[in-house]
Amino acid sequence: MPDMVSLDRAGPQQRQFNPYSDNGGTILAIAGADFSVIAGDTRQSEGYNIQTRYAPKVFKLTDKAVLAVNGFAADGNMFVKRVRQRLEWYRHAHAKDMPLRAIARLIQTMLYGRRFFPYYVYNILGGIEEDGSGAVYSFDPVGSYERESCRAAGAAQSLVQPFLDNQIYFKNQTAAPGTTHPKHLPLQEVLSLVIDSFTSATERHIEASVGDGLEMYVVLARGSQLQGLENVPNVQEMTTTSDGERIFIIRRELKKD
Amino acid sequence: MNSFADRFAITGPIAELRKAQANVEDDEFSDAAWGSEAGFGSLAKGIPTFTVPNVPDPSSFLRLHTDDHADPNCRIKIQHGTTTLAFRFQGGVIVAVDSRATAGSYVASGTVKKVIEINPYLLGTMAGGAADCQFWETYLGMHCRLHELRNRERISVSAASKYLSNLVYSYKGMGLSMGTMICGWDKTGPAVFYVDSDGTRLKGDLFSVGSGSTFAYGVLDQGYRWDLSDEEAQELGRRSIYAAGHRDAFSGNTCNLYHVKEDGWRFIGNYDLSQMHYEGPSGTGYGYDIRVEGRSSADAPPATAA
Amino acid sequence: MAATSVYSSPGFDFSNQLRNNFLTEKGLPLPKATSTGTTIVGCLFEDGIILGADTRATEGPIVADKNCEKIHYITESIRCCGAGTAADTEFVTNFISSNMEMLALTHGRKPRVVTAMTMLKQYLFRYQGHVGAALVLGGVDATGPNLFTIHPHGSTDKLPYVTMGSGSLAAMAVFESGWKANMSREDALQLVKDAISAGIFNDLGSGSNVDACIITANHTEMLRNVEMPNQRVQKEKTYVFRRGTTAWKKENIRDLIVSEDVTPVGTEAMDTS
Repeated sequence: MPDMVSLDRAGPQQRQFNPYSDNGGTILAIAGADFSVIAGDTRQSEGYNIQTRYAPKVFKLTDKAVLAVNGFAADGNMFVKRVRQRLEWYRHAHAKDMPLRAIARLIQTMLYGRRFFPYYVYNILGGIEEDGSGAVYSFDPVGSYERESCRAAGAAQSLVQPFLDNQIYFKNQTAAPGTTHPKHLPLQEVLSLVIDSFTSATERHIEASVGDGLEMYVVLARGSQLQGLENVPNVQEMTTTSDGERIFIIRRELKKD
Repeated sequence: MNSFADRFAITGPIAELRKAQANVEDDEFSDAAWGSEAGFGSLAKGIPTFTVPNVPDPSSFLRLHTDDHADPNCRIKIQHGTTTLAFRFQGGVIVAVDSRATAGSYVASGTVKKVIEINPYLLGTMAGGAADCQFWETYLGMHCRLHELRNRERISVSAASKYLSNLVYSYKGMGLSMGTMICGWDKTGPAVFYVDSDGTRLKGDLFSVGSGSTFAYGVLDQGYRWDLSDEEAQELGRRSIYAAGHRDAFSGNTCNLYHVKEDGWRFIGNYDLSQMHYEGPSGTGYGYDIRVEGRSSADAPPATAA
Repeated sequence: MAATSVYSSPGFDFSNQLRNNFLTEKGLPLPKATSTGTTIVGCLFEDGIILGADTRATEGPIVADKNCEKIHYITESIRCCGAGTAADTEFVTNFISSNMEMLALTHGRKPRVVTAMTMLKQYLFRYQGHVGAALVLGGVDATGPNLFTIHPHGSTDKLPYVTMGSGSLAAMAVFESGWKANMSREDALQLVKDAISAGIFNDLGSGSNVDACIITANHTEMLRNVEMPNQRVQKEKTYVFRRGTTAWKKENIRDLIVSEDVTPVGTEAMDTS
């Protein structure tokens, strides 16, 4: 017979509180001279199960800012929702979109506001700065951030980032005598690298990016040419204003196993 | 033991937390979040507010889910691993840091800015949690500016470092992790203060912080004099970071060098550590040539003048 | 003084287990074994048995082999699909295959599927699950077609259609909805392909291609890569590095061919006859 008296005396019962899980996936962003490419796969998984084959991880914030979120999908979706709300409020107060570097700082303070109960999300923000240059900001879950020209995050980051270091930063490559490595790559080249990163990660990683669909956002600086974007299959324009930055989305299929 | 007392205490950080928890729902978006105060807007009410998990012991919750060096399996990786150094000498303050961020055994970034430019006269260094250092030193910068506006003079390095030290002390035991050096020039001349998240605050001539600090100290201590020239001092800083980057797996990539003088800090340069290994400051590497010369018949020792 | 024993007991050496448990506790986990997080199936049809398997081998979250073989040879008319630790499935099937051959030579007749099943379960039970092999054993012998599953701890099942591995639920769903007694060869093969495909597409531990093996009373047909739904896509760029891309510190070229001048001294050639 259970001894109710001593059970009561045992005091408060503590249980493990685990509100986090990992939903796989990979995101990646590359900045060019006057454009920025932000990409993510669309698979959402938990353990060995696929929860859905289409759950976007990359979100358009404004006409010049795109945010990719990876990690725990519930935290990620909520976080994007809150960032968008703050940007909406900023638009009401100032009648303009928040500049990219300000969005980056906003994301830092929002993440750090949960320093003691973190959002389990890795963020990559891509877009166009006020000076018209392409930019990528990467964040850790509690808000430390840095501007870079390329970054991969998520399950296959350890497969993709070394590839990008080699192809974008030309790490471990010496230039031919009398030449230097280009500082920025053209858009066509960057799109090819993004696609190859994802198809390769798909081949060798089980939960990672691996698979199903790929969504690539391209943000072009104000007044810049299409740079061959018009010839890319499955491209769709998402710009809302007529005289600012232009934003496009390209969708691709990935392997489904 | 203490957690029981903490739970019912009406003072101290845990109690503050509990109060914060009580009005967390309507507090996350204060009125300050509207308009241009967004961001650091919550400052309008004095100190920033934090969301805290609704569990009896929030700091053990945080420890469970963030890596405290010990558990590589936990999900949220916080960047760690560093070598930073700063020293005072006749010509001002030299601040030198590496640029590597690691998460477990993965090099998360090789281009981290570990020197935080608080204002034109103050620098802070970053070791431990990257976000903690970035956030609180930026926050410190705002308060240094408020001090200038209120008192019509620049804040002293001592006061600035004490402000930070008091601030992190109020969060003691909740999981902040930072080891920083506040460096600058004020009425008293060049100054370096070490502040960490335990609440330690030390005034000194020479500090090195981080996993590679022992290696940096080795080079620093044997080369340090008060009357170093500017060039000698900069080279000493660079060389010390090289030594740490070479021997500590959690430090490396590049070295960022700053020099603080009477008219404020100046960024001296960014140096690739592996380039320094092979080529060094004058074409002869810091490490490579010394190690391989004369070790094989294919690589004969240099002809010595004899 | 007692002499040092030169006797070493047969079988596995567990002497490091205490040490390894201690290291694991200290936060130094054991290196991951290649495992075939897998979909393997088998089913009866009118003339015999069809076995099926995917071809992905994983090491944690990384695909170690995109086209491995999981249908192992036991005898000409008995085959075994393996899931679990790759080394264990490989070894255990090899070992039993060898014993079955010995048995055949000893008795001068074909051994039965139950014999292989019994040898496997006894072997696995002895090691209490430490040999991590989960198997689907199928074949046709004097008693007719036989199909078994064998779990790592040694328990077995005898059923008309079976699945195992991480994709077993996906594959079983297909069998439960599609399997009928006395199916034709074509229908049964299609069902096996569908079951394996369900595993390949819905279970992250399974992937790449479909292997199948059709065993009938007098013929065994191994259909390697009978379906390849996940072909590698063409890369957008070609990655070729210019000669001289890798930095070097110094260059030193040495002649590896030793040349020697020979001066003949005698006038007459040596008699070599």
